[in-house]
Amino acid sequence: MKKFVSIVLIILFFGVLTDVMPQEKTDSVRTFPLVNYIYKANRNTSPSVDHSKFEILKQDFEDAHQLTAACLSCHTERDKEIMATSHWNWEREDVLEGKGKVKLGKKNIINNFCIGVSGSEATCTRCHIGYGWKDKSFDFTEPTNIDCVVCHDQTDTYKKGKGMAGLPDPSVNLSYVAQNVGTPRQENCGVCHFWGGGGNNVKHGDLDVAMLDCSREVDVHMASEGEDMSCVECHKTEKHQMAGRVYALSSENKNRATCIQCHTSKPHQDEMLNDHNIRVACQTCHIPVYAKQNATKMWWDWSSAGRLDEHGKPTHENDAYGNHNYLGIKGNFIYDDWVKPEYYWFNGLANHQLITDKIESVPVQMNSLYGSYRDKGENQASLEPSKIWPVKVHRGRQVYDTINMTLIQPKLWDKEKGKGAYWTDFDWEEANRLGMEYIGKDYSGAYGFIETEMYWPLNHQVSPADKALQCVDCHQRKDSRLASLTDFYLPGRDSNAFLDGFGVIAVIGAIIGVFVHSILRRIMRRKCFFQKESNE
Amino acid sequence: MKKVYIYKLFERFWHWSQALIIGGLGLTGFEIHGSYNLLGFQTAVSLHSILAWAFLVLIVFAIFWHITSGEWRQYVPTTKLLKEQFMYYIGGIFRNAPHPTNKTVYNKFNPLQRMIYLGLKILVIPIMVLSGFIYLYFHYPKFGIEFDSLQTIAYIHTFGAYILLAFIVAHVYLTTVTGVNTFSSIKAMIFGWEEMEDEEIKVVVEEEMEVALKIIKSKLHAGETRSNILDTALEEVEGKLGVMRETFFRDAISNSSAGYFCISKEGYYKEVNEAWLSLYKYDSRDEIIGKHYRLSRSEEDFRELEQTVAHVLQGETMSHGEVKRICKDGAEGFHTLTLSPVYIDNEINCFEGFIIDTTAKHLAEREMLKKKIRIAERQKKNDE
Repeated sequence: MKKFVSIVLIILFFGVLTDVMPQEKTDSVRTFPLVNYIYKANRNTSPSVDHSKFEILKQDFEDAHQLTAACLSCHTERDKEIMATSHWNWEREDVLEGKGKVKLGKKNIINNFCIGVSGSEATCTRCHIGYGWKDKSFDFTEPTNIDCVVCHDQTDTYKKGKGMAGLPDPSVNLSYVAQNVGTPRQENCGVCHFWGGGGNNVKHGDLDVAMLDCSREVDVHMASEGEDMSCVECHKTEKHQMAGRVYALSSENKNRATCIQCHTSKPHQDEMLNDHNIRVACQTCHIPVYAKQNATKMWWDWSSAGRLDEHGKPTHENDAYGNHNYLGIKGNFIYDDWVKPEYYWFNGLANHQLITDKIESVPVQMNSLYGSYRDKGENQASLEPSKIWPVKVHRGRQVYDTINMTLIQPKLWDKEKGKGAYWTDFDWEEANRLGMEYIGKDYSGAYGFIETEMYWPLNHQVSPADKALQCVDCHQRKDSRLASLTDFYLPGRDSNAFLDGFGVIAVIGAIIGVFVHSILRRIMRRKCFFQKESNE
Repeated sequence: MKKVYIYKLFERFWHWSQALIIGGLGLTGFEIHGSYNLLGFQTAVSLHSILAWAFLVLIVFAIFWHITSGEWRQYVPTTKLLKEQFMYYIGGIFRNAPHPTNKTVYNKFNPLQRMIYLGLKILVIPIMVLSGFIYLYFHYPKFGIEFDSLQTIAYIHTFGAYILLAFIVAHVYLTTVTGVNTFSSIKAMIFGWEEMEDEEIKVVVEEEMEVALKIIKSKLHAGETRSNILDTALEEVEGKLGVMRETFFRDAISNSSAGYFCISKEGYYKEVNEAWLSLYKYDSRDEIIGKHYRLSRSEEDFRELEQTVAHVLQGETMSHGEVKRICKDGAEGFHTLTLSPVYIDNEINCFEGFIIDTTAKHLAEREMLKKKIRIAERQKKNDE
């Protein structure tokens, strides 16, 4: 009976043990639940409409506006949808803490890359879904100013011209493009979102042209040999309103694209891991590194810009990996790849350093992510507790008004020399003055360079499950990924030196006590023994 | 060297599964604490949680067992001999001094143990379990029941773990020093039987006899018939309370040459024990039960004994001097005896007693006497 009981216990024990040992990761087998998603293999991808059969699209378009008019002749009302999007307006009304409702977007925001579009629209709006936004005079209400094909082209032959305010390059065959339109693919989104900041993967760090054709290692969703998902499968779109927002521009916690919309809130078999999601974003573990394929910009120092060669041309230098580390028009850079993110609490709300805001601390926080361990979502605007997020932090140094203590929007670009643009004339004084004048803000005439920080929560380049962070990456004494988040107690990372000191002393004390006691017993016993003998 | 049954099956199961669970909790717990990397953090966490539940279940069973078996009394603290026990550990133990307390089934913990174990049971373990489950289920501050931080809970839990670890070191060491041999206490905890020195056994026997007699008394008062009362009582005591029947209790009596008998007031044997049978050289009880005690006495001894019995039947307890007995085969033996009346329904119904063999002593004395006489005769001769 006893034997039977002990055998049963042993079997149970090992049964439990094998159950809790981490299983061999079979990444190729989908063991997780998935909702709202149809696998590529089960999908009918043939288009419902063949646009090449429409006579109206077979014409030779005189200009791009005419093409748009042709689109709208069938797709009526779509223009109104477009005109309600931030892709069109480059601004959106958000509530910012302490600032109330603010119309904010690429149109007027200041960042620590190319600073801002104002005064340089003609080149910047190459990434606008419109035609002809070269200055403030652009008509946002004119339907034929919409560029439909930049997003819907399926031929990869459409491109916008350099410095042409969003109009297509003259080489584009608009008729061909018009007859081959469809749902946006990675290429359509990537042309702007990969290349933001003036080069591939410069800004986001997790949006890289390499993702058009990458391995599972780089991006498990977009991997060519996998589901090869397009952007809009996550960034679900209704009436041209795309889910998802980037906190370089956004401030409110709404209309976000999330992991759980497909993966559910309980994707792991281990409940303890699912519980982590209460305070840890999926991205934190599943994006262990970013800029996996190509380097991203980590540092941009404008203060050293302006170095010219003997011909008056801006100089440039590359680092050992072929990335720019100096450009005469922009200053010094540091690029890095395979970067470990920094980690911050984030509740989905952000604030921004507006052009009108006084600089109160250095480095200037271009955007600040709100959140803390203690923020459990009492903040009605966020609803959810703050979570730990992986963030790319882009640091730099840029112009500011040393008297007004505000950031400066300089005029950077112009077609011709002598019009005061910094990239042609290399005169900060004039560029600042013209830029600030353009947006109607006060400029004292005194400028300097100030350090800045900008936060980019990471969402893309999700790694395969077996490459996700392991427990000890955070739960360890040294080199914890979360070493900088010190406002809470993290098991495995945190300990109390006094308590541990006491504990170790108590245990070692007990061991020494035992040791001394047993030695004493041995010595004293022998003595007693001899005494007895001599007595006899 | 004898063995005494101290730890019951459930008790041993409880002790060792608890040891295993606490060991496992310690091993995985300190990994979670970040003290080392051994099983992997995830495995450690899962195991720790499973063991926590296992521990809780075990505790529920143990509480039930302690209450229903009355074993909780073992943990009632006492100051009696507390100081002596402490002094023994820091002094007497080195001089091979006798252990100030004895381990018996009724009192298996010394006063220090009582205090420490009680402390573990009502303080350390509850605090560990409570803080542990709070740690496990409220580790994320969110809506509902919550704590501002895990820190306080974690510190309490860690502190308790260190205390338990230090306890285990001392506990394991002390098991090796207090038994007859290094591992006899551990063996006892595994098999239930503890080896003891004869001196200790004596104390244990006394204590257990006391209990046995108490039980008999209560049964007699309850009005049960006398027949086989002693045997059933002893059996119960032996079986239930842990004296090993054949090798221990009987031995204890036969080795000391003590025979037991019970005789009706009319003078007929009602009950004798094995020792009595062997002293009287009978093979089985059937040969003697129902016979008159006159059978085993010479005519003149019987008359003397009759007078003593009369006194006993009046209610006196008598200690009779040395008497001669006549065994089954006609041989003679000598023993001293005690006699005491047995009451049933407040009336003396029979009398019982123990006999202690003195034959060897008697013979030796006789030989000495003969020797003396021979010497005296020789001297007489020499003188002549």
